[in-house]
Amino acid sequence: MSLNTIVAISLGAILTNNFIFSQFLGCCPFLGCSDRTDTAAGMGLAVIFVMGLASAICWVIDQYILIPLKLAFLETLAFILVIAALVQFVEMFLKKTVPSLYKALGIYLPLITTNCAVLGVVLLNVQNDYNFIESVVYGITGGIGFMLAIVLFASVRERVQFSDYPECFEGFPICLVSAGLLALAFMGFSGMSIM
Amino acid sequence: MKKDSTGALIFKLGIILLLVCAVVAGVLGVVNEITADRIYQQKREKTFAAYSAVLPAAEYEEVGFDKSQFGTVDIIEKADGGEGYVVQTTFSGAQGMITMVVGVKESGSKYTCSGISIISHSETSGLGAVAASSSEKGESFRSSFIGKDKNIKIADIDAISGATITSKAVTEAVATAIKAVESIA
Amino acid sequence: MRIKDQFREGLITNNPVLVQQIGMCATMAITTSLFNGIGMGLSVLVILTCCNVVIAAIRKIIPGEIRLAIFVVVIAGFVTIVDLLLQAFVPALSESLGVFIPLIVVNCIIIGRAEAFCQKNTVKASFIDGIAQGLGYTGVLVSMCFFRELLGAGRFGGGLIDISNGFRFTLDGSGGGIRIFAEDYGAKILTMPFGGFLTLGFLIALMQYALKKSAKKKQLEAEAEADKEKEAAEE
Repeated sequence: MSLNTIVAISLGAILTNNFIFSQFLGCCPFLGCSDRTDTAAGMGLAVIFVMGLASAICWVIDQYILIPLKLAFLETLAFILVIAALVQFVEMFLKKTVPSLYKALGIYLPLITTNCAVLGVVLLNVQNDYNFIESVVYGITGGIGFMLAIVLFASVRERVQFSDYPECFEGFPICLVSAGLLALAFMGFSGMSIM
Repeated sequence: MKKDSTGALIFKLGIILLLVCAVVAGVLGVVNEITADRIYQQKREKTFAAYSAVLPAAEYEEVGFDKSQFGTVDIIEKADGGEGYVVQTTFSGAQGMITMVVGVKESGSKYTCSGISIISHSETSGLGAVAASSSEKGESFRSSFIGKDKNIKIADIDAISGATITSKAVTEAVATAIKAVESIA
Repeated sequence: MRIKDQFREGLITNNPVLVQQIGMCATMAITTSLFNGIGMGLSVLVILTCCNVVIAAIRKIIPGEIRLAIFVVVIAGFVTIVDLLLQAFVPALSESLGVFIPLIVVNCIIIGRAEAFCQKNTVKASFIDGIAQGLGYTGVLVSMCFFRELLGAGRFGGGLIDISNGFRFTLDGSGGGIRIFAEDYGAKILTMPFGGFLTLGFLIALMQYALKKSAKKKQLEAEAEADKEKEAAEE
């Protein structure tokens, strides 16, 4: 395990294999919670936090409980329960400490449970055979990639509101098309060699 | 829900949730029991097919190697009859990790590549993905590795145009695989 | 009559992806070949129908406070069953869909239907709702695949249909599909992530256009009707 691997994982998760723009993980909150930059940033922070924590806890559960007991087939079930509990915890924590952020995120916080980026990252950790540190790094940098994408996209959307487009593109379609253009921009990173 | 105290309510809900989880886990256990053998069989067959595509043999046996020296190499298996080895390696391509099986043939003390087969990748379709495709270009790319030794360079192979990074990564991985086999032989 | 309405809702007027706009991650990610699209669509259909039936059956005995947790556990159970069965019997599909099969757990379509429909309806209605919504989802996936595959790679039915040796269906994902034009002339960009966003954006726009048009037409008809009645009354 070297610094090289860590850098490769981080760059991959943030840029070349961005969770949203190349793996399509977490599109629902990405499209639903991106009409203002500050809300998007809050959502991004919450996701980074939950993804990092979920990666760590799920790795421990997988390695020390599920695999020794030969219960690897229960992974999906166990992970989603851990994530649901974690989100509850983050929600209570935010309610007590940063009520303004809690208010801004509103209904989207419980939606992190059904954010496929979070379940996706823990499943990918298992699939890629990452060790503890790699898993946590992948979780956190994946979250950073998500935040980068959602903040960029929110600032694009703030401008889209004032532009002229065909009536039937109102709402989601125009968002999807602009998100597609951002994805196209992120493809520019794909030539980057991460040896 | 009558006037239960909070503690009793939480306890009751907890028990119900636990029961539901137990039932679901039980059902999954049964399904797993039925499918586990087949899944194992499928995986084994797939690796076997990949191995025999690069170096045919009746049986393969895992051998140890120095993982700290060859970080990208996952497994080395010796082909039955001693005509060579198959090396499974995972390395970084242009887009993500590529998993590949390399056959290494032993003749005298010379080690050469007997074929490669890409098991999984996430390269750009139409460009880097050609390396793994069954198209004519892909075939000629892969077969150009046959007979090459550890000093292989990208100039020696039929590289894929527009996918230099992928071609280079595959070439380096083949060279590493041959070196890894040499180190244990 | 009710059944017909439910199917109409699932397929068109309340289509999960195009109108409710949920469950989009997988829709954009895996729709690069017909094989993936149909495989994913059918998996969701089966899981959705099973979950709907079970949840509708136990809807009266689960306490409201923890219903979401129980929904999630039931859904995760069915998803794992389908995942294991696919790994055992259709390994090619399980491989090409990868992490998106277990991710059906967090697909909003299933938990959304559980919360919005099954909680209040009978087992039979929920069963039909599962099939209707599942078919609606499959329909969208298939049309996405159709456009992306045809325009991006110049073929139809990749992985599922093989015509090199007479027409036959391949369940191991090996079929080359029907070539419409040479791959080199395809707009490769459509098979990449960008194409997923773009195609779905255009499909939803098309749907909104059609729905708006039919709403306008109905309104015009209603107005015409009203006018006629008025005229009749005046006479």
